[in-house]
Amino acid sequence: MKNRLRELRAAKEWSQSDLAERLGVSRQTVNAIETEKYDPSLPLAFKVARLFKLSIEEIFESNGR
Amino acid sequence: MKNKPNLPDEIWLGRKDYSFWTDWKVNGWLFAATIISAMSDIMFPHVVREWPVALRTFIAVMPFLALVLWMRSLAGWIRGMDELHRRITVAATLASVGATFFFVVLWHRLERAGFFQAIFPPARTSEATWDISTVGHIFLLMTLFYFAGYRFFNRRYQ
Repeated sequence: MKNRLRELRAAKEWSQSDLAERLGVSRQTVNAIETEKYDPSLPLAFKVARLFKLSIEEIFESNGR
Repeated sequence: MKNKPNLPDEIWLGRKDYSFWTDWKVNGWLFAATIISAMSDIMFPHVVREWPVALRTFIAVMPFLALVLWMRSLAGWIRGMDELHRRITVAATLASVGATFFFVVLWHRLERAGFFQAIFPPARTSEATWDISTVGHIFLLMTLFYFAGYRFFNRRYQ
């Protein structure tokens, strides 16, 4: 699944560890999502969306379409 | 509110995040089960065999009570992980349990077939057996397969 997480995080000048702490996940999880090796669960996607005050569709885009 | 998830590296000896206290909290009961099992394996043939059957049964079952408590603490620790590590850990645990089951059953069948005795004929005075169905052996096998599985499943997310 494509996403804008790295771009949004960079705009806030947060490190992966900063973002991980805000989301309550590990740095490896943030890295795996950014590199598109792992698709987050719906609750985590909502958490990301809420943190950046965007909708899920504005952050994540399905490859399947 | 605790915002830091549990990390598998916290109980992986030698890793940067290793914590003896966390390891003890998670695996303390497994250690206890291994010690109880080893002690009773050593003492059963000579000492415990003379005791009343109720006591012998209690000693035989005791490691399993400790294992139930270990599984409880392990489940609690896995629940405290973030979703990626929970996924990797559950996959590695299932692989470890499956591989250990396969290995022990295969080993048992080879032993029953006389495979090991044919390759390594026992000394007449030796009491050693090829039995590996002790908690200590299974603990070692599960640990080995868990770390192999963890490395395998973790690699795809790095």
